[in-house]
Formats: sequence, C-alpha cells, structure tokens
Amino acid sequence: MIILLMLIPLSLMLLAVAIGSFVWAVRKGQFDDMDTPAIDILRDDRPLGAKADGTTDGRGHD
Amino acid sequence: MGAAGSFDPTDALIVDCAVDAISQAGVEACYHCGEALPASPVLSDVEGSVKGFCCEGCLAAAQWIRSSDLGDYYRLRSAAGARVDVELPDLAAWDRDDVLADHAFPVTGGLEITLLTDGMRCAACAWLIDRALQRVDGVLDVGANAVTGRIRIAWDPARVTLSSVLGRLASLGYRPYLASGAVQEREKLAERRRWLLRLGIAGLGAMQTMMLSEALYLDFNHHMALYTRDFFRWVTFLVCTPVVFYSGWPFLLGAWREWRERHLGMDTLVAGSTLLAYLASAVETVRGGAHVWYDAAAMFVFLLLCARMLEQRARRIASSQVDALARARPALALRERPDGTRESVPLTALQTGDIACMAAGEAVPADGVLLDEQAMFEEALLTGESNTVAKTQGAQVFAGTVCRETPARIEITRVGSATRLSQLTRLVEQAQAHRPPLARVADRIGTWFVLALVLASVAVFIGWRLHDPSRAFEVTLSLLVISCPCALSLAVPAALAATHGALARLGVLSLRAEGLDSLARATDVVFDKTGTLTRIDPVVGEVRTFGDMSADVATAIAAVLERDSGHPIAAAFASVPTLRTASGLKVHAGQGLSGRVDGMEWRLGRGPFAAGQNDDGRLWLGDGTSAVACFTLEERMRTDAHATVNALRALSLRIHLASGDGAGAVERLTRQLDIDDSHARQSSEDKLALVRKLQAEGRVVAMVGDGLNDAPVLAGADVSLAMGEGASLAQRAADMVLTAPSLLRIPAAVQLARRTQRIIRQNFAWAVGYNLLALPLAITGQVTPSLAALGMALSSLIVTANALRLMRVSVPESSP
Repeated sequence: MIILLMLIPLSLMLLAVAIGSFVWAVRKGQFDDMDTPAIDILRDDRPLGAKADGTTDGRGHD
Repeated sequence: MGAAGSFDPTDALIVDCAVDAISQAGVEACYHCGEALPASPVLSDVEGSVKGFCCEGCLAAAQWIRSSDLGDYYRLRSAAGARVDVELPDLAAWDRDDVLADHAFPVTGGLEITLLTDGMRCAACAWLIDRALQRVDGVLDVGANAVTGRIRIAWDPARVTLSSVLGRLASLGYRPYLASGAVQEREKLAERRRWLLRLGIAGLGAMQTMMLSEALYLDFNHHMALYTRDFFRWVTFLVCTPVVFYSGWPFLLGAWREWRERHLGMDTLVAGSTLLAYLASAVETVRGGAHVWYDAAAMFVFLLLCARMLEQRARRIASSQVDALARARPALALRERPDGTRESVPLTALQTGDIACMAAGEAVPADGVLLDEQAMFEEALLTGESNTVAKTQGAQVFAGTVCRETPARIEITRVGSATRLSQLTRLVEQAQAHRPPLARVADRIGTWFVLALVLASVAVFIGWRLHDPSRAFEVTLSLLVISCPCALSLAVPAALAATHGALARLGVLSLRAEGLDSLARATDVVFDKTGTLTRIDPVVGEVRTFGDMSADVATAIAAVLERDSGHPIAAAFASVPTLRTASGLKVHAGQGLSGRVDGMEWRLGRGPFAAGQNDDGRLWLGDGTSAVACFTLEERMRTDAHATVNALRALSLRIHLASGDGAGAVERLTRQLDIDDSHARQSSEDKLALVRKLQAEGRVVAMVGDGLNDAPVLAGADVSLAMGEGASLAQRAADMVLTAPSLLRIPAAVQLARRTQRIIRQNFAWAVGYNLLALPLAITGQVTPSLAALGMALSSLIVTANALRLMRVSVPESSP
C-alpha cells in the first residue's frame, strides 16, 4: 500500500491544479457572460458565397 | 418571406422584406433597424441588391459593419437593430475628469468603465459591440452582455478618448448611458464571482472528500493499517477545511448574526451541524478514534451552496429589468448660467435651484418646475402613459421623462436620490429583495423546528450516553444532519426563484412577492377596458368628407401628413398605402400638423386648429378655416383579447369588465368577448367599490388595468396586473407588470402561479414527511452520519429538482 503515499499526493496536486484553473477562470471573467460567446460558433470564417442562401441559412438558426 | 434571390434589384423596397425576417411582414422596413421606411428612403447597394434605409445614420452603420467584415451580424441577430440617429449625440462630456473620476476606475494600462445601453436586444448585438469596439485603437478590453444590457470598456486614455470609443458605439445605434455607479457595478460583479468561487471550491473539495471517505467506509472489517487510515484522515482533513471555512463562510457568518440577534434560524443549524461534524472529526483524527465525518460536512456545504446559487440566479435575471429605470437618467445636463449662457455639467453637479435646459427628445435630468409657457413631456417610464403630456408653466416635471417637440427649461427642485425616478427604482429593488409571507412562515417553522431539534438531540445524546456511550456522539450527529430542515427551507425559495425566472420569460415582471400567491388563489378577474382589452393606439373609424373630395383621397393625405410625425395617432394611419409625399411638415404642439401635399397647404388636428370647427375629439383635415374631412378614431380590440378571456374562463375564473366609457362601447365589447358581467361609466371609486363588493363575497380579485388612472383600484384588488406598454415598470400600485404586449400572458401567469403553489405544497409535504420518517430512524441509531448526509442531500435535491420543473414554461405567442 506504499503506492498510496505517491498516488494520493498526486491526486491532491491534480485537485490543486483544478481549483487553481477554476479560480483563474472566474477571475478572468470567463463566467461573467454565458450568452454572447455561444453565438461566435455560428459565424463562418470564409467570406460569404451566395448571398441569398447565406441569409436563408442564417435565419434557420434563429 | 422565403427566397430572396430572384427579386429585381430595382424593386428595393420589396426585396428588403424578404431579406430580413425581423421586419414586419408586408411593411417596407429599414435594412438596419427594421423601422418602417419614410416616404423617401435612402437606397444603397448591399451585397449586390439594393436595400432601403430609413436614414443616413442607419446606412452609415450598415456600411461600416459590412466594410469591417462584421456582416454576419445581420444573419445572427434575432431582433432588429436600433435606429441610428443621423445627428450623433454629443459625447465630449464623457471625457470630463469629473465624470471619469466618478464612474471609471483604473486597471492595468488604462481605465475601465461600465455603461448601460439601450438597443442591445439579442446576443448578436453584444457580439457586434464586442467586435466593433475592440477594433478601436487604444481599447484594451470590451465585454458586452445582452442579458443585462451592460458594456464594460477598458481603454488607454493616452491613446484614445472615451468619447471617440463611445462615438463608434453611438454610430452603430447604441447610445451609452451611465450605470448606477461604478462602485455598485463592481461590487455586484465581485459578489457574483465570490459566490462562484465558493461553489466551485466546495464542489471540487466535496468530491475529493467523498472519494477519500469512501475508502475508509469500504474498510468494513478494519483490515486497513492504522497509519494508512490516519494518513487518509489527515488528507481528508486538509481537503475539507477550505470547504467548511471558505465555501461555508456565508453560513458561519449567518449563524453568527443569528446568534447575536438571539434568533434561531436555518444558518445556525447548518453552521452548527457542519462545525460539529468537522470539529468532532478533527478531534477523532488526532485521537485516533473510530469514526470521522468529514464527508458529511463537505457535502452539506456544497449542496446548500448549490441551492442558494440557483435562487440568486433567478433573482439576478429579474433585477436586470430594473436597469431600464437607470437608463432613463441622462449622463449630463445642460445648465444655464445666471448670465444666460449654457454649460454642460455632470448630473452630480446639478443642485436645487439650478436651471436646466433640455432639447426636444432629451431626457429630463432632475425633478423640477417648468419655466416655459408650455412644453410636452413623455412620461411613459413613470406612468405608462405613452401619449405625450402637455404641461404649462409652473407644472412639475420629473427626471427620466422625455422632452418632446419643443425645447424646455426647468428650475430644479430635487436631485439625485430624491427624484421620483430614484424612488421608483428603489421601490422595485425593494420589492425584489422582499421575502414573501410563505417564505417567512417557512422561516418561522424552521426556527421552532431548530429549537426542537436541538433539544431533541440533547435528550438523545443523554439517552445514548446512558445506554451505549460509544455511539452517543455518532447518533446525535446523525440526528442533527439527517433532520436538518434544509429541504423545508429550500421548499419555498427554490420554487419562487424558478417561478420568477419563468415569469420573466413570460414577460411578466413581479413587483411584489405576495402577488404570486394571490394570483394563484384568484377567483375573479376584473378588466379595465381602454389600454387593456383594447389598444391605446386608435384606428380610423368613420370618415366624413365635406365637398367633393373622396374619403380615400382624404385618408391618403392624412396618412402622408402623419407618417413622419412620430405622433401617437400616426399608428392609426400606418396601414394606409400612399404614394404621395409631404413637404414643409410642421408639428404644432397640442394642436396638430401642417404641411404641403400635392401643392396644397393642409392642416390636420383638432377642430379649431385645422378646420375652424369646434373641438369635438375628432381629427379634422382642412386648410385652417374650412373643413375637408373629419375622422373618427376608434379603439381597436386586442387580437388576443378573445383567446385570453376564453383561457381565463377555462381556468374557472369569473370575468368582469369595468370601464369608464359609455354604455354603447362597453356593451359592444361585452358582446364580442362574451363577458359575464360588465359595468359602464365607472369612475375609479366605482371600480374600487366593485372590487370591494366582490371581496366581501369572499372572492379573490385580480385586477388588470393599464396602470394609469386606476391606481387605487389596482391597490385595492388582491392582486393587480398592469399593462407594461411604454415600459411602465414602476407601477407602485400594481403587483405585476406585463412587459410583453400580449394579453395571453395573463392566463399563462395564472397557470404558473397555480403550479408554483402546487409545487410548494408538494415540497413542503416531502420535506416534512422525510423528516418525520428519518427522525425515529436516527434516534434509534439506524443511520450513520454519512448516510444521514446523503439522505438529507437527496431530500434537498428532490425538492430543488421538483421546483426547477417550474422553469419549463411555454410562452404563448400571439400577434400584438
């Protein structure tokens, strides 16, 4: 059971990392706005091709 | 509204409708803001097809958005943009040191300010603002939130002035307003982040604590070496400590407060059980005793925090609507110096006795007395009256109202928090912080329960001490944890929080917590007529012409005159198609309009002004001396009035109609809607008497009014709903305000209130039943503390989950 002496501090370290990154995320305001970033994914990076189709597509998401 | 590709590009006015799903069907609308196009729209080429714009401002905004490669905004948005004024507001005052000192605070590399804006209607707007402002050189960081309507801007004053950043914002149609003070803004955000941190750390910590405790529990036959066991215990101690003292701090603080007030509350019990479990475990760890209960303590804290967060979230959504009131205050005021010159000063510099000037369309900065002969004010925000109100010299003018048609000067009588607007804001905030009676009852029961529980546990401890000293502590701890009335204390707030969230989505703003309870019990609904079952904006009824002009031509001329006036009556003519154009339009305050159509000079308005006739409430068209036509304006029944009355009747509510109008109009409406009981020519007192009579019969009365002239009735009814058209959030008398222009929300709200009541009862029954069942088990020592914590947790979760069912509500759609 001597392995526990290594595994448990390891899990504690993971816990510390998890808490640390959570604190960082909260401080950086990652949780301040839960609505706006969701829309970023709907944006195409490519320039718009067919304009009429583009507008119809866009409406489908609304 | 399907494919847009096959239209002839020259047919710009029609193409536009197909492209923008947001614009009203069949109405030629501006590509950017969705407003109806004026007689001579600005046409421009967008992506190969010609689009119409209502003004140069909207065109400029659209062009900038396209050229900045942000055109996706038009695809992503789910609500039309805000109209962009050609004349951008003067923003230079935002750069003044005193404004920045009050509202901005330093961050690394520059300053940060939080503003409110109107016109941010969907997440795409927030996205656009984010992108647009970030491209301004010198802007460090931007965060726009469409839910709260706030924009956070961090900028480097050495590289860019705030006014030029805000100029970009204004050119897109979003006007900046000062938020209620940087300190409160930051306080709110910091508070929210602190709670999130507490919850996150409690979650991670509790998870780890349980994992480690599990290892100890699974050691049924005590094969584990003592040093391994102690090692586990110390590690658990380490993980559990921040959960109890950091995450659980609000409970400890609450318990301390309750202790000082000599009042036994839920926090006492929560903090007591947590500390007891934690400290006893620590003692056992040091002593090498038989059991530890860290997991019970950590789980307890985590689950209770979850419940509190849920409640706070629902509250925050509701309170973001209060900001509409804060937005009404301008950031700066124009002050007249004693020598007659004018200077722009921040709001805080205004003092009683100063003279403030407002241009037409500007908001009044503080309460005051009108100095001019006559002026028009729109008091929609304060009273819900969307028509402008004419005021004469010496009349009271309130902060937050909008000066219309002519500029005005006022002598200030009240500033800052003494203004009526601030009082209303406070009122709404108070209402939202107010605990409903049901929650207070739960608290009271909780207090007695806690007292009884503490006494019982002392008795149990003594009993077990005599019977089996080795298990006395464990059994007592189990008893305390398992019978903690958490479910009881969650039963009401969780349900109310869920309901407030659902109500907000329904477009019903609850101003007084008692309202929900009364609405669920209501047996009768009394409707006001004007502005409630009927719409405020009229339709053209009878048209009478004098001379040889046909009614159609007269209507068309009136429509042209009204179209660009922005007058409330204009809505009556909005549906009249016309190809004529008017020139030289002039608005005569309180009188009517004049302008040239087809080379003729026309006047439209009150009898004496337009046609030399008596003022009989009708709308006259003429040349100033002789009449050509007159229009009778009629009220229009709301399209969803019939469905609403039927839905309410299906909920076994009795419908009454009480109106100040004459018997004819009321009779007609009663027949149309098939209402059981109607009363015509009712004064405010008569309506109140009707409500009192019904109440004397033991009925619970819900009153629906427009919130204007029926305030005493609204106050007298058991629960009152005011129509919120014109953003009349701050109806003091009303318990609820409908922010959506749909009557169908009323039956939906009644249903929701009843469901809430049912779910609260279920929750109470569950919580009490669980405690009654668990107590004897715990007293007889059948339950270990961790099992107790699990039982308590499950009970709380069931109650919360049951309450969250209330969030699922379908919003009834209807045409406005």
